[in-house]
Amino acid sequence: MNDQCRLVEEQAAGFVLGALTPEEERVVREHLATCPEPHREFEELGGVLPYLAESVDVVEPPASLKGRITAAAAAEAAGQAATTPTLVASNTGTPTTAAPIAISDARARRRSPLTWVAALAAVLAIVAVGAWNVGLQRELDAARRYEAGLSAVLDVAGQPGSQTAVLTGEGSEAPSGLAAVSSDGRVTIVMRGLAPTRGSEVYEAWVIGGDGTPVPIGGFAVGDAGAATFTASGVSAGPGVTVALTREPAPGATIPTFPIISSGQAVAPST
Amino acid sequence: MSEATTDQPLRAVSPTDEADRAVLVRLSAGDLDALEELYERHGTMAYSIAYRVTGDAALAEDCVQEAFLGAWRSAERYADSRGSVKAWLLAIVHHRAIDAVRRRRPTSELPASEAPAPTELQAPDVWPEVAGSLEREEIAAALATLPDAQREAIELAYFEGLTQPEIAARTGAPLGTVKGRVRLGLLALRRALTHEGEPVDAVVDEEGAT
Repeated sequence: MNDQCRLVEEQAAGFVLGALTPEEERVVREHLATCPEPHREFEELGGVLPYLAESVDVVEPPASLKGRITAAAAAEAAGQAATTPTLVASNTGTPTTAAPIAISDARARRRSPLTWVAALAAVLAIVAVGAWNVGLQRELDAARRYEAGLSAVLDVAGQPGSQTAVLTGEGSEAPSGLAAVSSDGRVTIVMRGLAPTRGSEVYEAWVIGGDGTPVPIGGFAVGDAGAATFTASGVSAGPGVTVALTREPAPGATIPTFPIISSGQAVAPST
Repeated sequence: MSEATTDQPLRAVSPTDEADRAVLVRLSAGDLDALEELYERHGTMAYSIAYRVTGDAALAEDCVQEAFLGAWRSAERYADSRGSVKAWLLAIVHHRAIDAVRRRRPTSELPASEAPAPTELQAPDVWPEVAGSLEREEIAAALATLPDAQREAIELAYFEGLTQPEIAARTGAPLGTVKGRVRLGLLALRRALTHEGEPVDAVVDEEGAT
């Protein structure tokens, strides 16, 4: 160990504590980057820091902090999903780029909505096994959150006498989702791709029966993740009711503010 | 090596780190539930550190949020390297908290460092297999063995982010003296902590009553 090494060793404590001046720190880093000596003292003294961290008095964070952190991470994942092309694994396992699963496809509308859900779940399962793309995993995680909302919808859809609606809108970027309407008046909606609401804005859900009159059934706010699950009960809805969403400046709207963001007509699932 | 190099490494892979590492792998795969779990495991400690350093609840929350989001983004990079996951995470929080107080300090002319704490220089898992609830007392006891001036210098550096010249200005001691206190204090703390790993009787005999 030469003199330079010795001088650098003497700085080890100050270095790991971050107590060196920027110039001193630069000199130490440069030396460590090029010196063949192991300079174990840095690692050993660095190992003391976690104990200093552990020595603080315990202060409980506010309960809301956890939710804020996971919401922020989910928003980042969803944001990436919006810009990352959807990748669908082919049968050979080679990833290919395909169009996003478009439930606005007219074909999907004629098929039972439950078939679409099963198809989505199958894709998620195939790609999840691969896990070869972190970006895709994050997109899948955002989708998984949506899928969790789907299970709530499917619970209702599975009840005898229930009907389901695939909600779609104008254009391929429109918010989309699924609604289930039970015979005992419960409506559960899961949506994705909704623009976040600001201030008192809400998305208002409506059911439109044969007479064409939209009846409001409740509103909900949407955060940056753009996905939401909403449930209403005590709704009077006959067969073939249309479920629709509008964006309102405040809750309690009695007449929808056009345009309709997303809508679909409910059908009883084919057996 | 110099005589000050210690006798016993602070090394043991604790059950805590095994579990943390599993969470980290899931985190690096983009699993949001893993992020929740990581927060449940270390969020309180992270917030406690941030609060101790910043003294400000809102700022502490921001530091914790940034730290966990930083872990969320860079988990993939860290998943393969050695080192305690907990130490890494708390180091990020500590670093962000120090940055925050340095930025708010009008007299500090030092630029806030954007790089996270030098994780590659920290020892592999330093949390011994001792039960967690005993550790704080052991650490407090170890800190208590230090001469006041050394303990003060270390605390000013670690909890307030002061550089050695700033510590000298704050305490009125010469810069050279401060550098000595920082170095000797951290070395002494390490020695005291390694002795904490020994049976309690030995510790009591050695430290005795002061």
